[in-house]
Amino acid sequence: MAKTFKGGIHVPSSKNTRNSPIVEFPAPKTVSIPMQQHIGAPASPLVAKGAHVCVGEVIGRFDSGLSCPVHASISGTVKDIEMRPSYTGYGKTAHIVIENDFQNEVSPDVKPCPKKLDDVTPDEIIEIVKNAGISGMGGAAFPTYAKIASGIGKAKEVIINCAECEPYITANHRLMLEEPDRILGGARILLKALGLTHAILAVEDNKKDAAAVLTEKIGGDSSLEVVLLKTKYPQGDERQLMYALKGVELPAGKLPADVGCVIFNAETAAAVHTAFTTGMPLINRVVTVDGDAIGEPKNIRVPLGTSYEDVFAFCGGVKENAARVINGGPMMGAAQWDYNAVIMKNTSALLVLSDEHDTDKAAEAACIHCGKCVGVCPMHLMPNYLAAFAKADNDEMCEKFGVLSCVECGCCTYICPARVPIVQHIRNKKAQIQAMRKKMAASAAQKM
Amino acid sequence: MTGEPQTRKFLKMSASPHVHSPVTTTFLMLDVILALVPALIWSVYVFGWRALTLAAVSAAACVVFEFLYRRLTHKPDSIGDLSAVVTGILLAFCLPVNIPLWMPVVGAFFAIVIVKQLYGGIGKNVVNPALAARVFLFLSFSGEMTGFTAPHTHGVDAVASATPLASLQKGILPETELFDLFLGEMPGCIGEVSVTLLLLGGIYLLCRKVIAWHIPVAYIATVALITYLFPTGGIDGFTFMQYELCSGGLILGAFFMATDYVTSPVTSRGRIIYGIGCGLITVFIRYFGYPEGVSFAILIMNLFTLALDKLTKPVKFGGGKTVAKQ
Repeated sequence: MAKTFKGGIHVPSSKNTRNSPIVEFPAPKTVSIPMQQHIGAPASPLVAKGAHVCVGEVIGRFDSGLSCPVHASISGTVKDIEMRPSYTGYGKTAHIVIENDFQNEVSPDVKPCPKKLDDVTPDEIIEIVKNAGISGMGGAAFPTYAKIASGIGKAKEVIINCAECEPYITANHRLMLEEPDRILGGARILLKALGLTHAILAVEDNKKDAAAVLTEKIGGDSSLEVVLLKTKYPQGDERQLMYALKGVELPAGKLPADVGCVIFNAETAAAVHTAFTTGMPLINRVVTVDGDAIGEPKNIRVPLGTSYEDVFAFCGGVKENAARVINGGPMMGAAQWDYNAVIMKNTSALLVLSDEHDTDKAAEAACIHCGKCVGVCPMHLMPNYLAAFAKADNDEMCEKFGVLSCVECGCCTYICPARVPIVQHIRNKKAQIQAMRKKMAASAAQKM
Repeated sequence: MTGEPQTRKFLKMSASPHVHSPVTTTFLMLDVILALVPALIWSVYVFGWRALTLAAVSAAACVVFEFLYRRLTHKPDSIGDLSAVVTGILLAFCLPVNIPLWMPVVGAFFAIVIVKQLYGGIGKNVVNPALAARVFLFLSFSGEMTGFTAPHTHGVDAVASATPLASLQKGILPETELFDLFLGEMPGCIGEVSVTLLLLGGIYLLCRKVIAWHIPVAYIATVALITYLFPTGGIDGFTFMQYELCSGGLILGAFFMATDYVTSPVTSRGRIIYGIGCGLITVFIRYFGYPEGVSFAILIMNLFTLALDKLTKPVKFGGGKTVAKQ
């Protein structure tokens, strides 16, 4: 029996690229590498205009607090350091623009770990992961070294999240099929770093072929176990994942590590393996390029910092009817306004959608109180009431109905027959309340 | 930076999710209408073409009133959601076949303008428009509203007939065979008689996930339990229960009226309590008041919807019984 959680939705999976092998993206002429691709402080550029950089060379880092270094994904000359809007639309981020010299010269710093896995200490692994600039590649982009550190002494089990519950995306699926050893190797390294003996690889049951490959590769290794999950969105959310696997609810405001699990994305584990065995930091990733308005849907391995423009050109170009570009999956991905935006560490997919998918076209009608949103909310909230309270600016009732517990998965909005943008109303109110709390905390701190 | 851009058109910005379920309000209402069609056909078979005329007049009047109200008050047009059609058909379904044709028009005005639109339109009304209109007509024109004719006696030889519920209230088993009741060979409102076809429609709505099982099951089970335990007139409990379940508007009410989205709770637990409440009040009225209590029962429970939603607010994830120990 595949495991699952309460609520959620069955979205047409649209995994059109499930049989498209990962294609290496040809070296781009230029890349523009953002200094912020992770949660935490942005990295500071370490190179100046005109400098020569090698593949894997550190070009940005910030050493105090939570942050993640950034590396050159190609070799060449730094042409410019530009401030550009960040992909979320909030604020600006420095981008280091590198012109490719096509020499593919690798930095001398890129060296495999000299010790065997049995001999390294957790601290050494954390250092390797930190220096490799690895952050969560499933979407949230939390620095991986910090996640490992937070789990030490608390976690009893590692979970490798291979659910990939968003429609369209098959990047993890292809990685499991084509490079299972990297994922499994990464899982073993993560176990070693955390001093644990058991890791679960959680796979949705629409990827049974991948689960079979992983199981076969694991062989007799009892430290790794593949578990099938029912295909349902948002199974890949860490709370729903933990509930499905362990039958426990993660209390609000707690990290999985607080209740005994650390969860890593499949490709994050693969990146850890690469960093450990070759010394190559995180400089490229697998991206699913799909949607009804892209010429040739593909899975590609792209150097970080490659522009959407170059990616689309490689994938047969965008069609005439292209109306929107989504960074990520269709349920939680962010719409982009610019073809100059670039592939980042957490870009699992780029979707080019036509007007067919215009969610605005069907105008918002009145809520008919059907309760479908209540039935699908994986956080067991009442989205219809939350949206109404949020619209009415009734903060007190919003908080009473648990507005801050919303994970913004979008199930309510997907299912709403009246097409009320429920999650957007909730998102706005959440941001307002959080900003207000921050302000109050700051003014309280000032008074003291 | 990256050579000549291949496209310079503006990209559309929108908030996630970027995909949407194809099911819309119109879609759901269309399913409800489809589910009512078999019972409507049956009513034509039993009561003649006038049943269809009644339904058409009622539905058309509802649509016209909705259209005019929205137009005159400069609000966006809303007849496209088909909810007015559903209200019209449901209103006709709880009228006797020989009622003058202007009465459903009055009812439609009451349902659409007073009960629905004055409160803000679809989603905002407190009580079910069709049921409120039926009760309005019932209290205003009791004679016409209770002038039920026997099946297949339409036309010149219309025969007034007592409904099975009227007999049951006196503690007498109706003359109609139980099987005929189940099939729909009985006097009554045009849409309520065929238990079989209403069940068929109800099951269709359940399968299509247009409605959830909680309200109809809780409602019918409550009526079944109480009538089984407390039969009147010395009738055997099981027989009495079967007659009670197959007579009157229970099945129509439980599947099509009590499940009205706008006026029923959104939580599973709330829906069960709501269904039980409907059942208790229905039986109470059938025992001690009018022969039939479905309309009043649902209207009364409509008023509890908001309170039930708040009372049965789900425990949010992260605070339930299975919350992780730290």
